[in-house]
Amino acid sequence: MGSLDSYLPILFLFVLAFGFTAFSLAASKLLAPQRPTAAKEAPYECGIVPSHEPPQRFPVRFYLVSMIFVIFDIEVIFLFPWAVVYGQLGRFGLVEIIVFAAAVFFSFVYLVSNGALDWGPLKRVQRVVRPIGGRTSQSTVRRIGSSSDEAA
Amino acid sequence: MSPLAALLSPAHLLAANGLVLPHVNYTAIMPELILLGGMLLLLGISAVSPRHLPTQVYATATAGIGIASLIASLVLWHDVQKGGPFSAVARAVDIDGFATLVLVLCSCVVILGAFFAAGFLEREQVQGVEYYALALISASGAMLMGSANDLILVFLGLEILSIPLYVMAGLDQRRAASGEAAMKYFLLGAFSSAVFVYGIALTYGATGSTNLASIGSFLAQNVVVSNGVLLGGLALLLVGFGFKVAAVPFHMWTPDVYAGSPTPAVGFMAAVAKIGAFGALLRVLFSTFPTLRTSWQPILWALAILTLLLGALVAVVQRDVKRMLAYSSINHAGFILLGVQAGTSRGAEASLYYLFVYSVLVLGTFGVVAVVGGRGDEGHGIERYRGLAHRRPLLAGSMAVLLLAQAGAPFTTGFFSKLYVIEASIAAHSYALATVAMLSAAIATFFYLRLVFAMFGERAGRQASVAVPVAPAGAGAPGGAAGQFPPVGTLPAGPAVASAAGVLTLERAAGLVDPGRAEAAAVADDDAGPVVADADLQVSPWVWVGLALCVGTTVVLGIWPSPLVDFARHATLLF
Amino acid sequence: MGSAHAFPFLTTLVLVPAGTALVLLLLPRQLTRLVRAVALAGSIGTLGIAVATLDQFRSGFAGYQMTSVHPFVAALGISWSLGIDGISLFLVLMTAVLFPLALLGAGEQTNTKAFVVWVSLLEAGCMGSFLSLDVLLFFLFFEATLVPVYFLIGGWGHERRGYAATKFFVYTFVASAVMLVGIVALVFLHQSQTGTLTFSVQALARTHLTGAESVALFLAFTAAFAVKAPVFPFHTWSPDAYAEAPAGGSILLAGIMAKLGTYGIIRFDLGLFPHGVVVLAPLLLTLGVAGIIYGGVVAAVQRDLKRLVAYSSLAHMGFIVLGAFALTGEALSGAVLQMVNHGLYTAALFLLVAMIYRRRGTFEIRRLGGLQRKAPVMAAAFMLVMLASIGVPGLNGFVGEFLILAGTFIGHRWWAVAAMVGVVLAAVYLLWAYQQVFHGRREGDERPEQPERPFKELTVREGLVLAPLLALIVFLGVYPKPVLNRITPTVDALIAHVAAGSHTDTAPLGRPVLSSAVVRTPGSAIGLATDVQGGARVAVTPAVLDTHASAPTPVSPAPAGKGIR
Repeated sequence: MGSLDSYLPILFLFVLAFGFTAFSLAASKLLAPQRPTAAKEAPYECGIVPSHEPPQRFPVRFYLVSMIFVIFDIEVIFLFPWAVVYGQLGRFGLVEIIVFAAAVFFSFVYLVSNGALDWGPLKRVQRVVRPIGGRTSQSTVRRIGSSSDEAA
Repeated sequence: MSPLAALLSPAHLLAANGLVLPHVNYTAIMPELILLGGMLLLLGISAVSPRHLPTQVYATATAGIGIASLIASLVLWHDVQKGGPFSAVARAVDIDGFATLVLVLCSCVVILGAFFAAGFLEREQVQGVEYYALALISASGAMLMGSANDLILVFLGLEILSIPLYVMAGLDQRRAASGEAAMKYFLLGAFSSAVFVYGIALTYGATGSTNLASIGSFLAQNVVVSNGVLLGGLALLLVGFGFKVAAVPFHMWTPDVYAGSPTPAVGFMAAVAKIGAFGALLRVLFSTFPTLRTSWQPILWALAILTLLLGALVAVVQRDVKRMLAYSSINHAGFILLGVQAGTSRGAEASLYYLFVYSVLVLGTFGVVAVVGGRGDEGHGIERYRGLAHRRPLLAGSMAVLLLAQAGAPFTTGFFSKLYVIEASIAAHSYALATVAMLSAAIATFFYLRLVFAMFGERAGRQASVAVPVAPAGAGAPGGAAGQFPPVGTLPAGPAVASAAGVLTLERAAGLVDPGRAEAAAVADDDAGPVVADADLQVSPWVWVGLALCVGTTVVLGIWPSPLVDFARHATLLF
Repeated sequence: MGSAHAFPFLTTLVLVPAGTALVLLLLPRQLTRLVRAVALAGSIGTLGIAVATLDQFRSGFAGYQMTSVHPFVAALGISWSLGIDGISLFLVLMTAVLFPLALLGAGEQTNTKAFVVWVSLLEAGCMGSFLSLDVLLFFLFFEATLVPVYFLIGGWGHERRGYAATKFFVYTFVASAVMLVGIVALVFLHQSQTGTLTFSVQALARTHLTGAESVALFLAFTAAFAVKAPVFPFHTWSPDAYAEAPAGGSILLAGIMAKLGTYGIIRFDLGLFPHGVVVLAPLLLTLGVAGIIYGGVVAAVQRDLKRLVAYSSLAHMGFIVLGAFALTGEALSGAVLQMVNHGLYTAALFLLVAMIYRRRGTFEIRRLGGLQRKAPVMAAAFMLVMLASIGVPGLNGFVGEFLILAGTFIGHRWWAVAAMVGVVLAAVYLLWAYQQVFHGRREGDERPEQPERPFKELTVREGLVLAPLLALIVFLGVYPKPVLNRITPTVDALIAHVAAGSHTDTAPLGRPVLSSAVVRTPGSAIGLATDVQGGARVAVTPAVLDTHASAPTPVSPAPAGKGIR
């Protein structure tokens, strides 16, 4: 394909980029002295030695609250300009905002039904371990194990 | 043309005080409306029902919604075939044969996806409506991309398509790999979306419009002297699309995401993302940038070659079936790119036909993989398939048909789809590309056959020694593999996606990961014995229905391909 | 065109086995005997239709007969176009004969239902390939044969079946992939010239190709055929596949599947790319001779009886390639005849080898020996088949090989001379094998812990399976005239087409094509061949053949024989 010729500079650039990267990596590997110590390998070279991983989780319901906030935030962002030109929009505007409001409302109902506003743990725990089918030995074993985990 | 003219006439544009309101032709967007409305209805029902409804109820409803949108799409198809294409919603939505075919295809994917999901969720005892709701939103996004006639709308469709897919990838919270998949998909997807938006901005800067038709006519009427901005915009758009369709070198996410996501979600994701992205890509390139063909054809040529070869070659060395199928899907993307690269209406037809065939095949294949994976969705090593034909002949037979069709065996739809794109490519004189494509297909047969042989060639009785890796290193922490990405599972809390998934599946989020893990491990331990492994392979009637549909389509339309070929042909005659 | 005959013989030839497979699928697998009976009935029914086709076949007519053309995928220009001519007639008959025998002689006991389903599907695929007049339809069937064979080898083969089956599939699939590109390229060249999108062989034969195009497309097509046949450097899959396949599988593989390759060479390479053929004939002739000698040498050092037969098969395929590219009427007739002959005696050889294996559980020649005393009838049958394979006059192998060598000698003397070495080699290794297996002493006989094991004589059932093959081997050796009468008109027309095609196309390759490359001397060698057999039955006169040759033929648009003599 003759028209590929015009892409030759790009190819050249690619080669250059890869070449440079490879050269740099190789050079640092070959030239730099490698004398690792435990202190050097640590995430922080100074300060207190970390004894455990930093905390990673916090309750997911904080996210839910923020999601509810975002939903209503967006609704307001839409509603303001809509209200400003409501007179010009007429019936079209009414239909559209009803559709929008319905979508927001259903999402909100869904969130609430999932316990976004429940701060007690009991309801959720019950819901998660209820199997659809009948009990099997397996599910029973699982329930005991998991409920003890959750109690902790 | 009459609806178009009527639409553009001032009578329909309510102009008051300078505010121009669009006329919304609701029938034109009826399939999307049905999917979204149905989704809201499902959410509402699940919210107000005092106790959890069984997943089959949701699956039935989803399939029903899919059938309704299929009917609406076919009505649109009928309209277009009779009255010609038309624009709707202020020229932002184009309803032509091409768009309606995408609509039909998305509806079919929703229906099939519901069947496979029902079987999977039932087995995994996952309650709730989330999977189905997300699938419906995602499919509506793909529909929007296929019928969008405005770059802004393409982008909207892209996001509506993608965001639910990120969540679906992370839906299985018992496996860390699932969260990792969601995280990777989300990060790289968000990045590619940003690139895509930048592409839109540059294109707008160069041409003064985001409407695909307007850009096209602008470029046809004006000679852009210095088109650096325009070309830059086009290139960035291509990068965005390339990510969505998993074209090399934008494919890095594919193996990890496919391996980590819940299996039926992978099939759905592969089908729907490719439909949407290729639909929009075809429209953008063909109706907007035909004048720049000499610029984008070489780029696509190179993309296609890389995609074809890398997909086929890397798949050969995979031991995990899901990863193997991920690379195989990359290979398929290369084939579809062949039709795009041709730049002719025959090429567009071929790509559409290939998309149709591929969607059915990939859904069915991952449907079987989900069944074989066993409870916990962990057993995806090729050992799981040893002697499957002796234990579950029908399941193995279906899988063999689907795999051989993917390989392009004759008298399956897979053969004709490959023939079609090859024809298009050769008609556009891309002989080298066509040859590389067919050679890559031949390489691909190797790994399809390996799986087929594992199922059929091994004598019965070997499955007793099946060892299911409890936490497969290959799937769980593929950080080292191909040097793609650090294992996200070890990064401090993947907040954004994990939380998005958590919001929608609260009850399982509260269950936390550990109990689920314990369960998965227990199941995997039991798997070592052949009895449990067999009991584990219970195939739900839902999956049987889905498989029957997929295999039936593949074989019947493979022996008598005319209807589907004509369908694809009519879809682009009116392009 | 449309259907010339009221009864669609050719379509039923394809659909009966396919329908049999469908019926078999629906039967419960526990009813093994019923499943076997249905499969056998299906293949015997196909044989009946094939015999009826032979009866309907108009002798002395060069073109396609009994054609049936229906639209298949109209949008892509593919049609369901079947037809038969002198080249395919006897291949179809041979296919119809070998399948029931393979079903009877195979005796695969495990999972019978799946086995017979695959065999029936394979028969449909083979029939379709031999009958298709639409290149894409041919390709579909050609590829469709891969899947059943893959499962036959993979499911019922010997120890290394997985390796052999996958190697077989991938090798042939790679080559076919190139061919598909070639097919589509040819079709679009044709479309750009005429404006119609069609895969019909007759139409595509009229495409005007430049020299370079003709050569390139020839190579693309030949890649697939050369792997399938197999032609010498592309053969590496075949010994593995033949040796690892179950008995029924190797009969069908070597007897019929291999012929798909050489049939493709004759039908498509010669029919579509006359210029490419003439330019590259020396290369293919060399490969053919290389195959003959290589196959012979490697066969001579084999210790495994089945592998020995597999390599001898490779050598014999070399003869067919030689005949196809010698570009003389005799050689090509000989090649077509040899395809049938080879199918018959190779099938018989593999059947006999399988019978020995069933008794002794080994293919190793050293561990057999002295079987003649215990099974004289089997030894006699083996002897007969082996002599046919060596090419002893009076048996069918001789007629084909002689025609090929005589025809090659006319135009390409040194290749013919080199190929003679192969004939000698065949005698060496086959006689050695026979001597070892049936007369020699078994290694380890001296050891006391291995007492003399009984060796059963041919059973009646085995005899019945072998008898038709032996009868055909003798019949074709003694009286090949009716077969040659039907083959030669088509072959002569094809040779004329190649000659015309290589003339009309001005070759930009720069090398003038020698008209002497294509020599057409109908009749003489055939007269010779039948003479040698001491036949006072020689009835084929040059005059008769001339009328055959000038019969109108759709293969060659130019009047046959124009400007050649």
